[in-house]
Amino acid sequence: MLAARLSVPQALSYAALCLLLLCVASLLLGAGDIGILPSLQALLGGSDDDARFIVFELRWVRTELALLVGLALGAAGVLLQAVTRNPLAEPGLLGVSAGASFAVVLAINLGASAASMHLGVAMLGALVGCVLVLLVTRMRGVGDDPVRLVLAGAAFSGILGALSSLLLLWDQRTADEMRFWVIGALAGRPLDTLDWSLPGLLGGLLMALLVVRPLAALALGERVASGLGHHPQLTRLGTLLAVAILVGTATAAAGPIAFIGLIVPYIARRLVGSDIRRTLGLSMLLGPCVLLLADVISRLLVRPYELPVGVVTAFVGAPILIAVVRNHRLPTL
Amino acid sequence: MNISSSRPLLAPAGHYLLRLGGYSLLLHRRSMIVALFLSLLLVAVATWILAAGDDTLTPSKALQAAFGQGEALQVFLIQELRLPRLIAGLLSGAALGAAGCLLQTLARNRLATPGVIGIDNGATAFAVASIVAVPTSLAPSALALSGAATAAVLTFALAAGGGARGYRFIVVGIAIGALFGALTNLMLARSDMDAANAAYPWTVGSLNARPADSVLLLGIGLAVGLPLAKLLVNALSLMRFSDNVAIGLGVRLQRMRLLTLALCVWLTALAVAVVGPVGLIALAAPEMARHLGNRHGVPVLNAALSGALMMILADWLGRTLLAPIEIPVGIIAAVVGGPYLLWILLRQAPRSST
Amino acid sequence: MSICSQLQRTAATITTSLLLALPLHASERTLDSAYGPVTISGTVQRVVALGDSALDAALSLGVQPVGTLASRGGDDVPDYLKTTAGKITLVGSVREPNLEAILRLRPDLVLASSDLSRDLYAKLSLMAPTVVPAGNSFQDWRETYMTYAQALGKQEEGQQRLAEIEKRSAELRQRLPQGQAVSVVRWNPQGPVIMSSHLFVGQLLKDLGLRANELAAAQAQKPHSDVLSLENLSRINADWIFLATLNPDGRKALEDARKQPAFTRLSAVADGHVVTVDGQIWSSSSGYLAAQRVLDDVEKALLD
Repeated sequence: MLAARLSVPQALSYAALCLLLLCVASLLLGAGDIGILPSLQALLGGSDDDARFIVFELRWVRTELALLVGLALGAAGVLLQAVTRNPLAEPGLLGVSAGASFAVVLAINLGASAASMHLGVAMLGALVGCVLVLLVTRMRGVGDDPVRLVLAGAAFSGILGALSSLLLLWDQRTADEMRFWVIGALAGRPLDTLDWSLPGLLGGLLMALLVVRPLAALALGERVASGLGHHPQLTRLGTLLAVAILVGTATAAAGPIAFIGLIVPYIARRLVGSDIRRTLGLSMLLGPCVLLLADVISRLLVRPYELPVGVVTAFVGAPILIAVVRNHRLPTL
Repeated sequence: MNISSSRPLLAPAGHYLLRLGGYSLLLHRRSMIVALFLSLLLVAVATWILAAGDDTLTPSKALQAAFGQGEALQVFLIQELRLPRLIAGLLSGAALGAAGCLLQTLARNRLATPGVIGIDNGATAFAVASIVAVPTSLAPSALALSGAATAAVLTFALAAGGGARGYRFIVVGIAIGALFGALTNLMLARSDMDAANAAYPWTVGSLNARPADSVLLLGIGLAVGLPLAKLLVNALSLMRFSDNVAIGLGVRLQRMRLLTLALCVWLTALAVAVVGPVGLIALAAPEMARHLGNRHGVPVLNAALSGALMMILADWLGRTLLAPIEIPVGIIAAVVGGPYLLWILLRQAPRSST
Repeated sequence: MSICSQLQRTAATITTSLLLALPLHASERTLDSAYGPVTISGTVQRVVALGDSALDAALSLGVQPVGTLASRGGDDVPDYLKTTAGKITLVGSVREPNLEAILRLRPDLVLASSDLSRDLYAKLSLMAPTVVPAGNSFQDWRETYMTYAQALGKQEEGQQRLAEIEKRSAELRQRLPQGQAVSVVRWNPQGPVIMSSHLFVGQLLKDLGLRANELAAAQAQKPHSDVLSLENLSRINADWIFLATLNPDGRKALEDARKQPAFTRLSAVADGHVVTVDGQIWSSSSGYLAAQRVLDDVEKALLD
């Protein structure tokens, strides 16, 4: 294993600090015409009506959502790469994002509109997508081979994506609405999003906590893990379930935001090494960091307009990933 | 060339040994049979597709029309519409199948399609840009080619230093791909509906009205690339094992890797410039080749044949299912190819690595 | 094309020209298109209209096309043209025109929209003269309309139609209160998308003396803006807000918009001056029939 650069408490405190700074930035910066100082005043209890509205009803909600989604995606990314032992694995590959997207497409097609999209629909789609992949993996021992699992997931994502495209071919109205949803955005989400997503997040995290130690053992090999009293099959299943719940929640809340689940594990591993017991907590802080950074940038680049955050995460994330990967030997999983 | 059967000890079981002058070529028997079978199937299906869907056409009439004989309308239909489309499909499918096979062997990871390392996305981004964003007189096809090349060059440059097992290359490729993908999404979201519609074929992969010069370029590239790939097969087969084994057996690893990668990018770029991003062919065609033939080799030729077959079948399905609405070939490839891929996966016994 | 069919076409052209050597109807007309000059001879019988604007123009000039593309609705012609179009063969969708289906209709003229790709144009022009109007959606819609009219050989009727619109505009302008500010937007959950005021609808509204939103006027290059931040929603506040929706049921879009607290704070919303309009007409099509509908919508909203 690669020698860790930082100790876990160090890394965690740096990450937490970063996160705090970014949260404050998210509350003070934006595309609106109000400046930083008025925002600060509003935050501290000032009485400017417009400023208060913007800071508390728009930016606050957005920041909370970014925390939730970032946390979910960061954790899911680490878990998935650990269980598949494949650093190319990304939560979207399990068919979860594709399932959620397909469900949304279906719903819009049948008459709903993207804004009133009930979280349940997307979540349902995400879970169904993942369950299908899980079923496939249970059959004929595909589950034993992580590569084939991810391959199956990729095939499923491909199928669901194509079915979505098929539906969109048919219905231009849906296509037009989906065009925006499919990029992923934190702005303008219905106000009850957080109420719905919090249980999902907590459920997923609970599952994650249950499988952390077995996963760490699994990294030493199946025999070792069994010898230590864990059940490899169950561990894998549990992990996948956790990933599904987490990604389903995130996608339902903000649309598919693809890159976070891929790069956060890399950064975490680079900082503290490969042991999942060390990287999981760190990823839960790094995920929101990256997402908030992307969100703030998306607000500042084209004022008074905004770019969709799903686009900016790629522009922010890709250089980070390349930088992390470039100069160092890649720690193996 | 003569099949040397007088010294059977030199050819392992299930192989033929061909000798020409000082060179010898070892051929896997089953692969050859599969290649033959696929070729015949390809010819049959292609001919059938030429005539399909039109009550007045029979395969023989279609072939005649291809050479200019027959009713004017039919000749036009075949020569201007169907034949170019068929050729574009065959060539791009073959190129994608071969490229997929090469990359999977190189990366020792069956997920590694050329699309994963960002070439598809680069091509799409540039092509879409030419339609919705940047007013330019260059054809989207030419821009797709430069987009693919740009993505490849960026990935090569940023992943310089090799790194263990070529991993770094794939990861950087994913990053570049995501960048270009985001760029495409952004451009499409900013454009109006009509421009987005015009750019649509380039985002899903379509064979509708492909320009002849891109197809010609692809044909030349394939004619050069496929034999080259076949020559590399020996070295590639050895690279499937660990690095040390390969080096021990005399393979010049770095050079082989670079060459294979360049070849893969070359074939993919040309194919994507014609058809757009049809990633699944590159994923499924090698699987099909392995399933039918040699499980442990690097079936480049069979992958090419499978890819060609899949592509033209997918295109035909797309044109026929909801006529007159055409479903782009990329969508069909995913909808039909996906389950097929799953089926193959399920039927195989679990193995520990590719 | 083979020599045989080339000869056939030339023979047909010559014959037609000879037969119709009488002054009035038979013109061989050459017009400028985006891909070069196009020559059309004689009266056209079988027209294929690819795109809303082309279909609109053809129908408004009394020509019944034999084929068109399924556009907005996904599997049919746009709502506002459905009754006028009647039963018409579909030859593919806006994204993928089906060349074989078009060939089967044996057209003698193809009217396409200005964003037809060069590759498709190359194939289509082998079948029949294909007219792709120059310019893009920022082009003066009247010029595009006249291009189609010229191609159909119906220039006079075309001028008449345009005159009708002008007359109606002028008359409506008299009746409208002067200098009202108007915003035309598409609603998106993340925020509204502002339609440029230099497009078809913007051109019409300007003729009616309605002031465009400053952000809309600044959109001179792109047909619409990025998503406007909800923090800046006050910038779309105007005397009247037209909410273009692709959903024929505009109520839903309005409900969604109302869910955003930033939206309900706008004075236009409080005054009830928000009108939902059909996005098929207001955000992309153009032509005589579309113009009439736009004027209908404005009249109904501002005067009732």
